[in-house]
Amino acid sequence: MKKLWQNNRSLIIALIIFLGAFAAITQSMEAKVWASILLSGITLASLYFLVASGLSLIFGLMDVLNFAHGSIFVLGAYVGLSTYANPRLLFNTLPFFLSLGAGITLARSFGVPFWRLKRTQNKPQWFFWGLIALSLVLITLSLREFPIRAINAFGVTAVGGIVSTAEAQEPMGTMLLRSALLFISGLPFGIALAPREDYQEGSRRNPGRVLLTALILLILGLAILLLRDPGEKFMLGLSVDLRFVLALVLGSLAGALLGAAVEIVLIRPFYGNPVTQLVLTLGLLIALTDVIEGVWGEEGHPPMTPPSLFTEPCRSESLFSWFGEKCRSIDVLGRAFPSYRVFIIFLGILVFSAVGVLLRRSRIGMIIRAGVQDSEMVQVLGINVRRVFTLVFALGSGLAALGGVIAAPFLGVYPAMGGIFQLQAFIAVVIGGMGSYPGAAVGTLILGIARAFGDHFVASGIELPFLETTLRGSPALAKASTVLIMAIVLLVKPAGIFGKKE
Amino acid sequence: MNNLLVIENIHTYIEQFHILEGVSLEVPQGSIVVLLGRNGAGKTTTLKSILGLRPPRQGKVIFEDREIQGMQPHLIAQLGIGYVPEHRAIFRDLTVEENLKIAERQKHDLDKRSDFIFNVFPDLKRLIKLPAGNLSGGQQQMLAIARALVPENSLLLIDEPSEGLAPVLIEEVMDAVRQLSARTTILLVEQNFSMASQLAERYFIIESGRSVKNGLMPDLIDDQETINAYLGAA
Repeated sequence: MKKLWQNNRSLIIALIIFLGAFAAITQSMEAKVWASILLSGITLASLYFLVASGLSLIFGLMDVLNFAHGSIFVLGAYVGLSTYANPRLLFNTLPFFLSLGAGITLARSFGVPFWRLKRTQNKPQWFFWGLIALSLVLITLSLREFPIRAINAFGVTAVGGIVSTAEAQEPMGTMLLRSALLFISGLPFGIALAPREDYQEGSRRNPGRVLLTALILLILGLAILLLRDPGEKFMLGLSVDLRFVLALVLGSLAGALLGAAVEIVLIRPFYGNPVTQLVLTLGLLIALTDVIEGVWGEEGHPPMTPPSLFTEPCRSESLFSWFGEKCRSIDVLGRAFPSYRVFIIFLGILVFSAVGVLLRRSRIGMIIRAGVQDSEMVQVLGINVRRVFTLVFALGSGLAALGGVIAAPFLGVYPAMGGIFQLQAFIAVVIGGMGSYPGAAVGTLILGIARAFGDHFVASGIELPFLETTLRGSPALAKASTVLIMAIVLLVKPAGIFGKKE
Repeated sequence: MNNLLVIENIHTYIEQFHILEGVSLEVPQGSIVVLLGRNGAGKTTTLKSILGLRPPRQGKVIFEDREIQGMQPHLIAQLGIGYVPEHRAIFRDLTVEENLKIAERQKHDLDKRSDFIFNVFPDLKRLIKLPAGNLSGGQQQMLAIARALVPENSLLLIDEPSEGLAPVLIEEVMDAVRQLSARTTILLVEQNFSMASQLAERYFIIESGRSVKNGLMPDLIDDQETINAYLGAA
C-alpha cells in the first residue's frame, strides 16, 4: 500500500483533484445532465483516440511526429463517404490504383539487377529520387484531364441524405489507356523501391509468385473496370447498413495503404534525420489536403446518414432494447442520447482493446513494444525492424482513417475536419506520455471529457458550491481548456502521465 | 586454425567523424578473443561495424568465409551472430520471458535451449514473469547474455559484461562466459583486464581507432610495457 502510494503519488493526487473538481462541477447539476455531458465527452474521446493511438505508436517506435496524420483521418472520411453514397468514384478509380500497384510489384522484384549495376555509384539517392520523380510525372500525364469532379458529384436530398448526382463517365477505351499508362508509370517507382543488394529479401522471392500477384492485380483492375456499371448499381442496391460496413472497411484500408506508402517513400530514406521527416509530413499534410479538395471539392458535405440501425425515430429504454428497436436515441437517466454516439464509444473501446491485445499477446506486438525502447537492439536480434515500422505506420493510419469514417455521420465531412483532431491528438499524446499506448487512451479521455464540460460551461454556465453567481466561460476558454490541461499535467509530470523519465 | 570472423582494415565513420581508421582482427573458430583498448578507442564501434549498425566505408568483414560488410543488420544477425550490448540493453518493459522469446529466430528456439540457458543462469527461471526493468544490474546482465543464447549463434559479441557490477557478480558472469565458450566462439570487449586475461586466449589492442598489437594472452600478461602503453590509466 505504501509502495503504491510512493510510486504513483502524483497520479493519485491528480486523480483526487480531478474527482474533486468533477464533484464540485456536477453537484449542482442533475444526474441526467452531467451523465449525458460525460457520455458526449467519451464520444469525442473515442474519436480523438483513433487518431492519437496511431500518432503515439508511430512516435514511440520511429520517433516520427506525423503531421499528416489528421489528413489521413480526413481521407478516411471521404473514402467512406464515397463508398457509402457514390460508389461510382470507386469503380472509376480503383482500376488505376490496381494497375499502378501491379507495375510497382513487378518492377520491385525485377529491379534488383538495376541496383547491382549502380552499386559502385556513390550517390544512389540521386537515382532513387530521379525514378520517383519520373514515375510521378508519368502518373500526372496518365491522369491528365480526368473528369474527377464530374464523376464525383454529390447532392443533398430533401430529407438531408446524400446522393450521387454524377452523370459523366469516361469512355471505356480512355479508361483502359489510362490504366495501361499507370501500369507503365509504376515501373520506375518499383525499381526505386527494389532491394539494393542481391542477398536482401525480395530477390529471394519466387519470381513466379511475383508475376502471379501482378497479374491478379491487373485482372482485378480490368474486372472492376468492365463491371463498373452493374457494379455501381449493385452497390447502390445494397442495404445502408452493409454499405456502411463496407465504408468502414474500405476507408480504413485506404488509410492503411496510404500510411504504408508514405512510410516507404517519404519516411524510410530519412531515419536518423527527424527534422527532414517532420518537414516532409508537414508538406504531405498540405499536399493531401489539396488532393482531397481537388477530388471531393472544397465546400464539404453535411453529415452522412447513419446506417438504419441508428435512425428509427424513437427512444429506447436501454441499450438492450435498442438492439431490437434500432432507435435514434437511447434513454440515459431520462434524457435522450443519440445511439450513434453509443456506437462510436463502443467502437473506440473495441479498437482500444483489440490493439491492446495485439500489443500484449502477439509476437509483432512484443516487437513493437521492444522497438519503442530500442529499435537498434531489435534489429541485431535478426528482426527486420523496417518492415515492422511500415506495418505500424499502416496500422496507425488505418485507425485514423477509421476514425474519419465513423466521424462522418456525426460531424459531416469537410477538408479541414482533420485539423482539430490532429491538434487534440497531439495534446492527448503529450498528456498521456509520448509513445505510451495506455497514455494515449487516458490522454484522449481527459481531453474529450474536458471539452464536453468546457462546452457546457460556456453554453449554460456552472454553479460552484461556494459562489453565488453562475460561472460562465468565454467560448475561447473552452478551446483553450485542453492546452491548459496539458500545461498543468506537464508541470506535475514533465514526461506525461505514463511517460518514462529519460 | 580456421577463422570464423576476419576483419580487414575497416574504416568507420559516425557522421563526419572518422572513428575507426584501420582495424583488423581475426577470431578463430571455438576461441575466446578479447578486444582491448582505452575508453573511446573504438571497441564498441568495431562491434557495431561487424553487426552492420555502423557499416564500415572501407575494408572487409568476413564471417564464415563470406563478406558481410554493407548487409542489413537483421540479415547479418540471421547468419548466426549474437550481440550482448554494453549497459545491459535489455527491453525493460518486457518480461524476462518476452526478452528471451523475442530473440527466437525459429519457433520453439527457446524451448529447445531453455535447459541449457537456465542451467547457466538458474536465477532467470525464477524471475521469468517479472518485467525485466525490475531486475538488479547483475540479473539484467545475465538476461542480456541469455538472450543472445536463444537462437543458434556461432559467434557471440559481448561488450563490457563486467561494467558496473560488483566483484562477486563479475565472477558469476565470468563463469557464465566460460560455460558458453564450450559451445560458441566469443569476441569479448572488456575494460577489466584481470577478467579479460583469465578468459581469453588471444587479444587484440586498438588505440584511437587503429589496430596496434595482437597476440596470445599469456604473452601479454608478462608484457607490462604494452599494458602500460595501451591499457594503463593514462
